[in-house]
Amino acid sequence: MTDASNDLTMAHTTAGSAARAPGAGGAADVAAPVRIRVSNLDKRFRTAGDGVVAVDNVSFDVRQGEFVALLGPSGCGKSTILNMVAGLLDATDGEMAIDADPVVTGKVNRKVGYVFQRDTVFPWRTVEGNIGYGLEIAGVPKEERRRKVERAIEVSGLAGFGSSFPRTLSGGMRQRVALMRTLILEPDILLMDEPFGALDTHTKLEMHKTLLEIWERERQTVLFVTHDLGEALTLSSRIILLSARPGRLKEDFEVPFPRPRDAVSLRETAEFGQLYSHIWHSLGEEFRRTKAE
Amino acid sequence: MAQRKLSILAWQIFILVVLLSVWEWGYDTAKALLPRAFVPSILDPYFIAKPSMIWTSFLKLGCFADPAGFLACYGATPNNLWLATLVTIKNMLWGFLWGASLGVLIGLTLGRSAYLSKIFEPFIVAMNSIPRIALVPLIILMFGLGDLSKVVTASIVVFFVVFFNTFEGTRSVDRDQIAAARLLGASELTVLRTVVIPSALAWVFASLTPAVSFALIGVIVGEFIGAERGLGKLIIEAEARANAAEMMVSIIVMMIVGIILAFIVRRIQAYLLRWQPQFEQQH
Ligand SMILES: Nc1ncnc2c1ncn2[C@@H]1O[C@H](COP(=O)(O)OP(=O)(O)OP(=O)(O)O)[C@@H](O)[C@H]1O
Ligand SMILES: [Mg+2]
Repeated sequence: MTDASNDLTMAHTTAGSAARAPGAGGAADVAAPVRIRVSNLDKRFRTAGDGVVAVDNVSFDVRQGEFVALLGPSGCGKSTILNMVAGLLDATDGEMAIDADPVVTGKVNRKVGYVFQRDTVFPWRTVEGNIGYGLEIAGVPKEERRRKVERAIEVSGLAGFGSSFPRTLSGGMRQRVALMRTLILEPDILLMDEPFGALDTHTKLEMHKTLLEIWERERQTVLFVTHDLGEALTLSSRIILLSARPGRLKEDFEVPFPRPRDAVSLRETAEFGQLYSHIWHSLGEEFRRTKAE
Repeated sequence: MAQRKLSILAWQIFILVVLLSVWEWGYDTAKALLPRAFVPSILDPYFIAKPSMIWTSFLKLGCFADPAGFLACYGATPNNLWLATLVTIKNMLWGFLWGASLGVLIGLTLGRSAYLSKIFEPFIVAMNSIPRIALVPLIILMFGLGDLSKVVTASIVVFFVVFFNTFEGTRSVDRDQIAAARLLGASELTVLRTVVIPSALAWVFASLTPAVSFALIGVIVGEFIGAERGLGKLIIEAEARANAAEMMVSIIVMMIVGIILAFIVRRIQAYLLRWQPQFEQQH
């Protein structure tokens, strides 16, 4: 938007990502600036009963160019945390900052892109209309908009569906539309709330491929919520593990797999299997706890 | 498929022909064949006229039967059928436009503001519980026997229908879609224009088709109670002369007007809501 040199197909040249060793999959770059800071975050929902503590004293940082997965069982407060970081929801206590600017609820930060857990494409707009929405309301000239939308459609594998309405698309295609609608604005911080949660395994893998391709080119700072361990391991450079409700920070570890990654073959490697089963034990406990409730 | 369509059409024509035949000849036939007590008085042409009588009245009221010619008759009769129809349509359209615009505007405003809707809720509930027809004499007293009082009546009737639907539609807009638009950079006004209105449009249109009929009802009732011209006035005049055929002419004209306007609304609806599955076929 403001940074016109960034384009979907161009690599980011911001200081942080340039400083990274190419191909590095994990190791936090301590020199990179902190983009998202969450400190001592609490969230209590008032309900008919005593109220629900959804998030309990959560703190973490996300640095420039990191792809962080926020992993935890269903209902542990992942969406709640993300919504607070995006400024969609008030925190009960604690602070959040984007680039050291405190997050103000209700105020949209142009640097931040958000992809919802639920399907939020606009059914009254065509695929093109949806993807070009942000550019359109920002007053980007028609010609430039058309060019960018066209490229986004191509990148996301939606070629030929530009003038279709969302109801004629599959769930995976709709989620591609939602993703591109956000990415076309070139946010350098991306908040994603289980964007592929509703998709079947195969479609999910396809989406992982697309997202990896884009991210490995652009190296946005990503906070990606998921309850799918395989997904977290495939995509992210770091995993923050949350406990079952109330969400507490449980573990925070690097994902060392080299990049570029292949969403399919990565899953067949021994390292993947080892890490998977290691985390599964921590996570398994949490899943059992949620089930017992 | 084509065969099915054809057979539906055939049935429709058949039913129409039967109804018209019974209407035209039923009473006379029954009178000739049945004992007096069994003749259905509901078919008495004195009350419901006959298709042939209606046609004759139509030619007369429509200035086609005048020996002086159409134009002379048209100029000489102040409330001839054509003029009356045009006046009624005009009043109805203005009433519809005013009522629907205000309904959409206020419905959107209150739907977007929980604060304002709380303030105005009791007033709207109170106003809405007044039977609209009860207001007509008052409106005629206030705005006179001319066209204005009919426009006002129609717009009040239309307003409430459209208002309530717009209000509900605005309130049921997906909050996540609004949040998504905000996060993509939309201001409050842009959210209204690009999310709330398109999404509430389905609800608005659901009320517009009935609103067209309500507008017609409003105008006609106004014309019944006090008017100088219009189709309603024509009916009242015919009633004074106990002329069922002339009343029927006006009623049929109203029916045709209603059908045409409802058709136009539906076409617009089908275009604007073409993203919805139920309007897929039309486009
Ligand atoms: N508006 C609300 N009012 C009351 N309770 C809420 C509200 N929103 C969320 N909660 C509660 O807070 C907890 C965390 O919810 P949240 O949506 O953040 O979970 P989640 O980790 O995103 O789960 P999932 O993976 O299923 O999406 C849940 O127990 C939920 O019931
Ligand atoms: Mg969630």
